[in-house]
Amino acid sequence: MLGNLDIVKMASALAEHAANRQVLISRNVANADTPGYRAVDLGAFDPDETSGNRLQLQQSRAFHLPSRSAVPQLSPVAQDGVESSPNGNSVSIEAEMVRAVEIKRQHDLALSIYSSTMGILRSSLGRGR
Amino acid sequence: MNEFSQALSATASAMKAQSQRIRHITENIANADTPGYRRKITTFDMALSAPGESNGVRLGPTILDQSELAQIYDPAHPMADEAGYFTGSNVNLVIELADAREAQRSYEANLKMFDQTRQMARGLMELLRK
Repeated sequence: MLGNLDIVKMASALAEHAANRQVLISRNVANADTPGYRAVDLGAFDPDETSGNRLQLQQSRAFHLPSRSAVPQLSPVAQDGVESSPNGNSVSIEAEMVRAVEIKRQHDLALSIYSSTMGILRSSLGRGR
Repeated sequence: MNEFSQALSATASAMKAQSQRIRHITENIANADTPGYRRKITTFDMALSAPGESNGVRLGPTILDQSELAQIYDPAHPMADEAGYFTGSNVNLVIELADAREAQRSYEANLKMFDQTRQMARGLMELLRK
């Protein structure tokens, strides 16, 4: 049963990642007409960083090299194929909509995994769904 | 949930800004035949919540288009000078309509983001129901 907790942890990390991205994409869409605004996005969701992967670098002493931070860093969207308008704005509404749908799907996925795991736990407790 | 409220406030600020833009466009079109009228241009600015971090959009100062006013030939017009010309407005209806369409598209995109954020928040709340 404890083995199940990992999946819950990962699902909530995915939901959190989707929520954080949703803020950024909302800002991008909001600033679609703001001169000089550069579109931003988070890096892709990396399950290894949230699942307590035992194969990662461990810092047992202070002077060890630190491993990657668990929170993905803010990074500008890759500019390949996206040209900015004359006023320096690099937001493309179409690309942002695609990202928004991707976020929605990730969030739905995370919530479904979470609720179905909870269903399994409930069944094992004998309460049914 | 804090993320969702941030996203909602960013989208709401953009929708407010776009509707203000539509208002200025409407005023321009309404005054297309007003002598001496200069068209209003809506400017957008990032609303900064923290240094270098934008949270939504706010309107910058409204500026008046300083391009030349149209000289219209109509000797019968009460404001016509000796040569028969009077100064019209510098509103170009095609530009205003294109601008209006762009504002509408941006508004719709923001509305969609607003709706999606709401759906995500509701999905989160549904987890508590079971």
